[in-house]
Amino acid sequence: MSNPVKIVMVEDDHGHARLIEKNIRRANISNDIVHFDDGGTALDYLFSEEVRMNGPMLILLDLNLPDMSGTDILARVKGDERLRRAPVVVLTTTDDKVEIQRCYDLGCNVYITKPVDYESFAGAIRQLGLFLSVMQAPDID
Amino acid sequence: MFSALRPSLPALIRFARTPSIGRSIVSLLAGAILLLLAVNIATFVMIQRTAAFNDQVERSQQVRRAARTLLISMIDAETGQRGYLLTGRQDFLEPYTRAETAAPVQMEALEELAAGDPELRPHVESMVERGRDKLAELERVSALARTGRNGEALRLVQTGQGKALMDRIRADVAAIDEIENVRLESRTLQSERGSRLTLWANAFAGLLIVLLAGIMIWLVRRYVEEIQTARDTLDRLNAGLESQVRERTAQLTRANDEIQRFAYIVSHDLRAPLVNIMGYTSELEQAGQVLDRQLARIETDAPKALDAEAATAVREDVPEAIGFIRASTGKMDRLINAILKLSREGRRALLPELLDMTAMAQGIADSVRHQTGEAGAEIVVEPLPRLESDRLSMEQVFGNLIDNAVKYLDLARPGRIVVSGEDEPGGWVVYRIADNGRGVSPRDHERIFELFRRSGKQDRPGEGLGLAFVRNSVRRLGGEITVESELGKGSTFVLKFPTRLTLEESGEAA
Repeated sequence: MSNPVKIVMVEDDHGHARLIEKNIRRANISNDIVHFDDGGTALDYLFSEEVRMNGPMLILLDLNLPDMSGTDILARVKGDERLRRAPVVVLTTTDDKVEIQRCYDLGCNVYITKPVDYESFAGAIRQLGLFLSVMQAPDID
Repeated sequence: MFSALRPSLPALIRFARTPSIGRSIVSLLAGAILLLLAVNIATFVMIQRTAAFNDQVERSQQVRRAARTLLISMIDAETGQRGYLLTGRQDFLEPYTRAETAAPVQMEALEELAAGDPELRPHVESMVERGRDKLAELERVSALARTGRNGEALRLVQTGQGKALMDRIRADVAAIDEIENVRLESRTLQSERGSRLTLWANAFAGLLIVLLAGIMIWLVRRYVEEIQTARDTLDRLNAGLESQVRERTAQLTRANDEIQRFAYIVSHDLRAPLVNIMGYTSELEQAGQVLDRQLARIETDAPKALDAEAATAVREDVPEAIGFIRASTGKMDRLINAILKLSREGRRALLPELLDMTAMAQGIADSVRHQTGEAGAEIVVEPLPRLESDRLSMEQVFGNLIDNAVKYLDLARPGRIVVSGEDEPGGWVVYRIADNGRGVSPRDHERIFELFRRSGKQDRPGEGLGLAFVRNSVRRLGGEITVESELGKGSTFVLKFPTRLTLEESGEAA
């Protein structure tokens, strides 16, 4: 992953956030990770001029947020002329078929169900990290 | 006749005592018929009276005529006698001789007519008597004249005795006339009054009948209206009932959907903290391993610096605690998955098709062959009736029940599981899965179908999910499941399904 790509993580569960971060780091990904624990501040940040001007990024999105559904954020991001280029990885506990379909319809790039079993969880995140390390993210502007 | 009526008498009394439209109409009709009868009788009496009156009028006329005829005869006789006296001609005497023979007959007739009439009799008697006297006087005069003694005869006339007799006779005739006239007048008056009365009575009765008919029409109309209103109300109620049933069904479907959604959301929300518990347990374990390695190094480098308590904590207590946490979270994860599975199964669309149940049960029996073989047990599948239902659900139901039967066989005796079934009247099919396994205690017959509940010795793996799942599926297919079992003898699970699964619009069993 080319260095300047920023990882924006929207995840209300701090434990999950920490576990995700740990396992991404274990995959030798050293990119900046910005964490938000609710949808409102995450949207404020994503739609601020500073972020929109500031190069490529990747969004890790949880669907079950306290103030809004992750799909709302997904819709806003994918509906924006510039932000929609940012790859969005939905990382959530929900494995409902309808929900998965809806996310892909809205333009999500990858949908990952968090495995409850920690070995699988850690494995999945590490693989995501490996995936991120070879992935090309487009410039936003 | 009376004995034939007797059984219907109580019914009649009951009819008469109960206020009803029938009773009202019958009493009104009876009233109208009685009125008609009364009018008929009155008219009949009136006709009789008119006939009697006519007779009486006829009689009066006869009496008057007879009296006048007699009077005329007397006058004729007098006229003839006078003519003879004046002329001396024999032919002038002719009216006298005619009257002389006619008069006695006429007298007799008059007397006969007046017989039994106390009012008329005196006059008639007097008239007849005077008539005879007059005839006698005439006879004397004409006898004198015939013998040529005209002067003597004239003198006799001149005495005025004959005229006086005639005057009396005229007076009697006038009296008879008067009596009959008075009678006629009073009778005419009576007759007129009678016919007026009859007329009024008729008019009144007619009016009453019209009134009764009016009341009857009104009653019948009201009754018909009441029936119509009742029918309308019934129709409305029926329509209301249907919409109510629809509404309730919709409510139930909504509630059911909500529960399933709730189960789904809850199980997802429960998963999130579980990920943390499992994740950080693993992190702790890894940290423990780091510590353990550190301890091992200290042990080799400086055994004295090693605290025995710390070593126990790191090498025994921490792994033990982590083991329990792991086992519990693992179990919790399985339970949550079970709820998820139930909720998901409840949302799956059913697809009815004709199923060969014998083949299906045989297939399931074959799939557990290795287990039955190990346990020395056998599964007998008898020919089963076919039914139209959802294949996947039926496979899951039979699979679960046969698995259970194998799982809970009593090792003390060779296992034998029999799957049988038959059609039942009313469009039902019954299947039985009977085993000679360890059985279920009667107090657990309901409990075994509840989620996460198990019965008997807990020496087999399981979450208490299978039978809850089975009952859920059976109910979705419009059927029911019961268990007949005795502890230590075996169990028989009885499944009852509609021969044809019909789905409502909502996709649920009708």
